[in-house]
Order: sequence, then C-alpha cells, then structure tokens
Amino acid sequence: MSDDFLSRFHEEPRGEFAEDLKRRLRDIEVAEAEPAARRRGRAVPLLAGTAFAAAVALAFTLPPVRAAARNFLDLFRVKRFAAVPVDPDRLARIERGGLDLKSLVSEQVEVIEPARKPAPVDGPEAASAAAGLGVRQPSVLPRGAALAEVSVGHPGAFRVSLDVSKLELVARAVGVDDPDIPASWNGATLQVQAPPVVMMRYHRGTEDFMLLQSRNPEIEVPEGIDLARLGTLGLRMTGMTTEEARLFARTIDWRSTLLVPIPVQGGTFREVEVRGQKGLLVTSMQPPKPSADGTPRSGRWRSVLLWADGGEIFALDGPGQGIEILEMAQSIR
Amino acid sequence: MGGTRLLGWLVGAVEREPVDWSAVYEEELPRVYNFFRYRIGDRATAEDLTALAFEKAWRARRRYRRDRAAVSTWILAIARNVAIDYFRQTRLEVPIDDSDAERETPETVAVRHSDLRRLGALLGELPPRERELLALKFGAGATNRAIAKLTSLSESNVGTILHRTIGGLRAAWDAGGRR
Repeated sequence: MSDDFLSRFHEEPRGEFAEDLKRRLRDIEVAEAEPAARRRGRAVPLLAGTAFAAAVALAFTLPPVRAAARNFLDLFRVKRFAAVPVDPDRLARIERGGLDLKSLVSEQVEVIEPARKPAPVDGPEAASAAAGLGVRQPSVLPRGAALAEVSVGHPGAFRVSLDVSKLELVARAVGVDDPDIPASWNGATLQVQAPPVVMMRYHRGTEDFMLLQSRNPEIEVPEGIDLARLGTLGLRMTGMTTEEARLFARTIDWRSTLLVPIPVQGGTFREVEVRGQKGLLVTSMQPPKPSADGTPRSGRWRSVLLWADGGEIFALDGPGQGIEILEMAQSIR
Repeated sequence: MGGTRLLGWLVGAVEREPVDWSAVYEEELPRVYNFFRYRIGDRATAEDLTALAFEKAWRARRRYRRDRAAVSTWILAIARNVAIDYFRQTRLEVPIDDSDAERETPETVAVRHSDLRRLGALLGELPPRERELLALKFGAGATNRAIAKLTSLSESNVGTILHRTIGGLRAAWDAGGRR
C-alpha cells in the first residue's frame, strides 16, 4: 500500500528559523560555560568533551625519545595513571575569546582507521573473540547489580602532525607567554593506535556500572622530540607555573604514565591499589536531574577508577564515592 | 576526532565518546520540525515547539547517555513531551498550515493548497494516539522500533496501528478527501 501521499508534505525548516534557533542554542552553550565550570562536580567529563583536553592529554601521554642512535619509532605503554589539576576557567576564557581550538587541533589530526560505534555482542566470550583479548570479569558485584549488556567498540587509529605555529598559538591563548617550542618539531608525526574496547554494563535499579577493558593503546613517537619538554609545556598550559610544571614533570615517568586532567574546582582524586597495581580514583558530584514537579534535588556522587594491569588498561565507572567500584575492581579475574 | 576519542576512551565510563552537538542539530532539526508539523499542524506553532524542544534538549545535553538511547530517540522523546504539554494547555489540534507557498507557481500552489487542506483535515480527524504515531513515522522518520520505545507500545502494536491508520487515510484520500 503506497503512503506517498503522507510523505510528500515533509518539508525543510525555513532557513531563517534554523539559523535563529542555532544562535539561541549557542547562547545557551555560552551562558552555561562559565557557571558550569565554577560549580563543578563533573571533574573528568568537563575536559573530556574538548579537543583542547585531548591535545593536552595526548601531549602528556608521550614517552621520552630513546637514544638518538635509534632510527625508528618509540612505543609508549600505559602502566599507571596520574591526575593533573587544570584550571577550567582557562578553557572558558578561550571559548569566550573566539579561538577555535577544535579546528586548530583537528586540522593536525589525520584519521587512519575510523572509529566504529560500540556494537552489542552476545556475552563476554564473544567480546573476547571480537576484541582479541581475554575479557576479565568481576566475581563480586554491587548488591542487586547484574550484567546487562556487553559491547565492543573500535576507537580506530589516527596520526597527529605537530605544527609549531599552531601549538604556540594555543599555548599563548591559555596564558603561556614563552612557549619556547623547538622549530625542529614542526611536522613531526605521532601515531596512535587504539585497540578494541570491551564495555560491560552492569545494571541496578536506575543505576549503571560500566567496566571498560582494552589492550594498551600504542603511541608511536618519532625521534627528535623531547617529550618531557613537550609534557612540561602541556602542564603549563593546564595552568601550572613554570616551576610547578618543572617539579611535577620530574615526578612523571613519561614512558608509561598517562595523565588525566582534573579541574581544580572539580571532584577529588586519590591513588588507590587495585590488585597490586596503582590506580587512580576520581570522584565527583554529578549535577542533579530536575524532578518532574520542579522540586529541587541534590546531586549524586559518581566515581571512575582507572588502572593498568598486565598489558591491558581498565576503567570502571559507577555511582557513589568509589567503595563499590573498588570492591568490584579488586575481584576482577 | 582521533584525539578526542583517545581521551574519550579513558574517561568513557563517565562520558563516552563526546557527541557532536552541531551535527546533531543539523541532522535532527528537520525530523523534530516535521514531527510537530504532522502532530500539531500549523507552521508557526511547529517552529515554536521545535525551538522549545531543542532548547530543552540543549540544557539537558550533558545528561544524555549514549548507552541508553540513540540521540535521535532522546530528542524525539523530548519533542514528544513538548507536544503533550502543548495539548494539555491548548486542547486543540489544527489542520496542516499551507500559508507559506510563495516560491511556487500559482498552479502548484493551488494543487498543494488543496492537498494540504485535505491531508490536514484527514489528520485532524485522527485520534491523538494515531496522529502521534503518524507524526513520528512520517514527520520524524522514526522506525517502528524507535516509536515503540518512545510510546511504550510494542513494536508489533505500532506496526499494526500504523498499518490500519494508513489504510484508512489511503482510502479516504483516494475517495477524495474526508473519511
């Protein structure tokens, strides 16, 4: 039975209306940016959504270059995570200043293998096969929680070409007056290969716990890049003074430590031990959801635990201040 | 973007791969607008309600969870609630508006006016549930599965209701107008 007579009245919204609404939505984004940064509870996500954060984080992940005699690429493997306090007001200032960081960064990124959306699989065994790793599961679950969904995502691979002039532009925009970036870095290419990610969602009432597991991402770094120097620059871009960045950088093993940006006014973080490995537990207060009748509600604590173990990296997210996810993580076999 | 994906993976448990809201706007605007066109009728109201739905979505966008629903379904759920609120306040459903046809020739305008009036009259006679399902299907282009999720009906029930409703409309349309 033809239903063309119904479809033919489909029409495009007026251009003037579409543009006007787009402006109104942009106004909402701008109005939210500063207060959201101030009241903060969503520590990690605040930066996760920005290309700037990605660029900084990527810089932090870079290992030192091996001996100059080596004429091939170095590899970086995550063994531990460390938190880096950042000043979210800097990001808000940049946005207000009109600097399009997203474009600046994206112009230097070349996608080698496109990301694919997570696809559900039948269970952990199927996920193991699809991701090419032995999926590990917790033997202890939070009371009332059960495995609800297993999926496998493919983050893909990409290449980042350093552009000294753009890097300096970004650095100066966030308040680093003397970036001092060697001209020889121009055109250096870093390649990131992110292996498949297994995501296991455990459900309880209205809450979810999410366990992610992946083989270590591989980051290839060309020789000639002083990555400790680049990392120090990244630290200054987060708001540290030159001296603070220098001291902090000395505590970092740039070959194996992945830094996670945490807004200074955001949640708390602490180092924890997970099955003999050092992990990072980040806790933040989530903004309250409005109730149907408009009565105020309080926010909820939420935590994420990051750790590496045996060539694989894990992230476990759940409600609360970390007690349940820590217990869950300790039971993963 | 690759860099975003890298960090997105690492903190994905809190906020999975970031949503490109600009792309969402471009993609979802016609669907939401046409949902209201089919559900409510006149163009001006459809624009007002579309704007209201998007503003609500934008203010709530940080609470969107990719693992719970596709972003298109999430926005349609907001649009649907906006329509429900609208009907609670107005208790009025009006025919599809055909007032903005200045770019067409007099002949096509005449035909189009006539067709729009006929369709508006037919839709106006539908019970609210049937009209809503048609708006989701033909206005928003939603699948039966997505409609089922939005309306809490079973997928087969959605298919049955749509089939019956379209059949009735088709017959009335072929008969020349009113059912």
